[in-house]
Amino acid sequence: MTELTKRNVLKLMSAALVAASAFAALPGMAFAAGTITVLNWQGYGTDEAWSIKAFTEKTGIEVVHDYYSSESEMLTKLRTNPGAYDLVVLNAARCAQAIAEDLLQPIDFSKVPNSKTVDNAFLTNPNFSKDGTGYAVPWVWGMTSLAIRDGMPVPDSYAALADPAYRGRVAFDDDAIINVGIGALMTGQDMNDPKDLAAVIEALKSIKPNVKLLWSTEDQWNKSFAAKEFDLSVFWSGGSVRSKRNSKLPVTFVVPKEGAVGWVDGLGIPASAPNPEGALAFANWMIDPTFYVEWATKVGAPASANTAAIDALPADDLSRQVHKAEYLKTMSIMSALPDDRREAFNNIWQEVKAFYAE
Amino acid sequence: MRNDQLTLAPARGPSGPRNGRALPPWVSTTALLMPTYGWLTIAVFLPLLTMFAFSFLSATPMGKAPIVFTLKQYRAFFDQPYLVGIGITSLLIGFWTTLICAILGFLAAVALVRSTFGKTREMLLILILLPFWTNGLVRVFSWTMVLRENGFLDSLLHMVAPDAGSIGFLYTRYAIVVGLVHGYLPYMILTCYIALVTIDDAIIEAAASLGARWWTILFKILLPLAAPGLISGAVLTFVPVIGSFMEPRILGGRVGVTMGTVIEDQFTQAFNWPLGASLSFTLLAVVLAIFATFSGVLRRGTAA
Amino acid sequence: MKSLGRFYLIATLVFLYTPILVMMAMGFNESQLYELPFTFSTRWYDALWNNKILLTAGMNSIIIALITSVVATALGTMASVALSRRTFRGKSLLQLMLLPPIAIPWLITGTAMLIFFYWSGIGRGMHALLIGHVALAIPYVVLVVGTGFRTIRADLEEAAMSLGSTPVHAFFSVTLPLLYPSILGAALFAFAVSLDQFVISYFLATPGYTTLPVQIYSSIRKGFTPEINAISTVLLLGSMTVILIFARFAKPGDTRDKR
Repeated sequence: MTELTKRNVLKLMSAALVAASAFAALPGMAFAAGTITVLNWQGYGTDEAWSIKAFTEKTGIEVVHDYYSSESEMLTKLRTNPGAYDLVVLNAARCAQAIAEDLLQPIDFSKVPNSKTVDNAFLTNPNFSKDGTGYAVPWVWGMTSLAIRDGMPVPDSYAALADPAYRGRVAFDDDAIINVGIGALMTGQDMNDPKDLAAVIEALKSIKPNVKLLWSTEDQWNKSFAAKEFDLSVFWSGGSVRSKRNSKLPVTFVVPKEGAVGWVDGLGIPASAPNPEGALAFANWMIDPTFYVEWATKVGAPASANTAAIDALPADDLSRQVHKAEYLKTMSIMSALPDDRREAFNNIWQEVKAFYAE
Repeated sequence: MRNDQLTLAPARGPSGPRNGRALPPWVSTTALLMPTYGWLTIAVFLPLLTMFAFSFLSATPMGKAPIVFTLKQYRAFFDQPYLVGIGITSLLIGFWTTLICAILGFLAAVALVRSTFGKTREMLLILILLPFWTNGLVRVFSWTMVLRENGFLDSLLHMVAPDAGSIGFLYTRYAIVVGLVHGYLPYMILTCYIALVTIDDAIIEAAASLGARWWTILFKILLPLAAPGLISGAVLTFVPVIGSFMEPRILGGRVGVTMGTVIEDQFTQAFNWPLGASLSFTLLAVVLAIFATFSGVLRRGTAA
Repeated sequence: MKSLGRFYLIATLVFLYTPILVMMAMGFNESQLYELPFTFSTRWYDALWNNKILLTAGMNSIIIALITSVVATALGTMASVALSRRTFRGKSLLQLMLLPPIAIPWLITGTAMLIFFYWSGIGRGMHALLIGHVALAIPYVVLVVGTGFRTIRADLEEAAMSLGSTPVHAFFSVTLPLLYPSILGAALFAFAVSLDQFVISYFLATPGYTTLPVQIYSSIRKGFTPEINAISTVLLLGSMTVILIFARFAKPGDTRDKR
């Protein structure tokens, strides 16, 4: 090209360079005493603007976010950034690992008054505690199970995934642990420790003619469902509420007779947190009925671990209808897996995916 | 390794500048190379060496699990035979993407050089490069809108032929290749253009006046002249494509399983960095082997 | 033949701009889920103007991409001079070493950087971000500029020198002007590489600091709204306008074009 571009572009670029270095020199890392940094998935409760505003007005504490896009990334960020985070959202299955590595500090529950009404089953969940000491404030629970397009027959078993009636109309969550869990439930085994892995592989492979796509984000799920690419899917309870309420999608969440794949997320405080007091105050706010009702009714949320927060929901609320307390009895909760089993689960799913792609 | 052909120009003419004064040429050569390779060493080579070391470990060395030295990660292709099929699929996707890019890109560069000039040419070149400045993920999502059943492609077809069925081919390997070709075509056009733009028109006019047909000019004159551009373009396309995971995942649906997605899963889901790393380095070795062979063939080709 | 060439170029542009036009259209579509039929709405643009986070992220991305582009182009061109015009031992190896940063998926390189920067004390922040971005852009620059070098005859420099130019002067007055298309192309690519790079930014930025690709990638999990389409459209049309204005009003300077 030419003259033109040469001098002028260079001029423009050097100007930008000067401006940018001045910008970069600004203090970006000065954390005031009244600031906490939260590590979470993006768009998952803690970063709702209205909630942060209310919290800051009430306590004077500013909330900054950093995000992760996979649980292993969350652990890596915790390990490689001591002193950077005050509060981290972590799944019970991962919490045990973080505790074992001394990444978390014990929770002073006296500073989390709302924890008094948290269901005891969650507080004593072995994944959240070590030697009787709690290391995470139980926050929300939810289920991964089936979602069906309204107007279709409601399936009562995971066997529907392999039903020829749904040929090319099924979507799967691209998550090894969940899918092996569903394979285990399909074959009547313990989700966290299936003995007959060959049967699990067989069950998952048998679905092949039905599988249309593997989704990896809620956004992708919504767009594909809206475009009518599938009718039956493995999906999240909270996601189904958001899809139905916010995006007006004709979807119903179904828990078949084998039970759902359940999970619990907790709020942990990293051992190196600069502002644990602020983090505890925020954790308390996160299980506060005031926050939860607004989150669940306006945005769509999983079920709060705080019974008082659930009771504060209107009786006809969608989140409340989807997260029935009775499911808590039938669902299997994902728990920490030993490394070799986790590796085996991942290899199974890779093998199944390779089979789907053939 | 003799690989001059692979990426860059072999030095032509005498080596150093005729610098009769104090500094020997190696000083300036080093000074020219130091910033780049120093930078790459700190930012890429040392980190990747760390990762390479990880690939010989039994588990990700960030937790508290006991770690031992092992070669088992490199045995994955034997222990998990389905990986071989995935690997071949990835190479085929890379091959087709590169071939299609090379044909389309070369022709576009020829058209740019032969059919346009001055400002128009500049504008066209800029317009060709600009789609690159949009986010890759946004582009891929837009492709899903075009390719899916009842998407834009179908709408367009139904405008012409209202009764036609669907020609949407989202969630097939073709969709993956379309997405990848779209993503890498600008590289190929640019490198071919750079190679062709310096061609002296007199050569082509001379050939034409001697009665050469257009295909003779295209294949006997323009193609050899564009070779450096085609090679660089092929490197810039093939190499990243076989490790790509976004396009296969989103455009491939059920069939979108490639080495790229397997590796990504090892890092995001399985937390098995050693396996992910060993697969990446195996892939790298395959890439280097392919280019070494390729450059050998080329060398012989040019010598003959 | 000329009109065939032009027709082909237009077809190429149609292909290249198909998803871009879809992206732009969906920014003006009412539905958050890209649902059809198309219903015109400016709600996403309204939302964008009030979305400080996204606007800041867009600004940050442009700044980083500009710095990356300048630094990587300068360093890469220097290296390319040595690799193209000098002979020395180990040259092939150095050329081969440009491949790993391109071949190894960014996710792995990014993770490796995170770990290494942590261990070596480089840490996270703007500096780490730039180190990573520039490093990933350099190989593209060297390859593209190297292609330019292969097509320029070294004897032009020789001629200039035999007429009394110093090597440095010969380089700046003869070689560099001939290289401009390649250098400019390389800079555009370096800019694109940085603008699309999320893994590095994601791992190495300080919490609270965010770039556009990071926003995009972390928001696809829950709420990827057409605001993203809106800001991408603004960015693209903005850069297109700037560049085309430059192209329009600059002096014609392509000395190699004989027509």
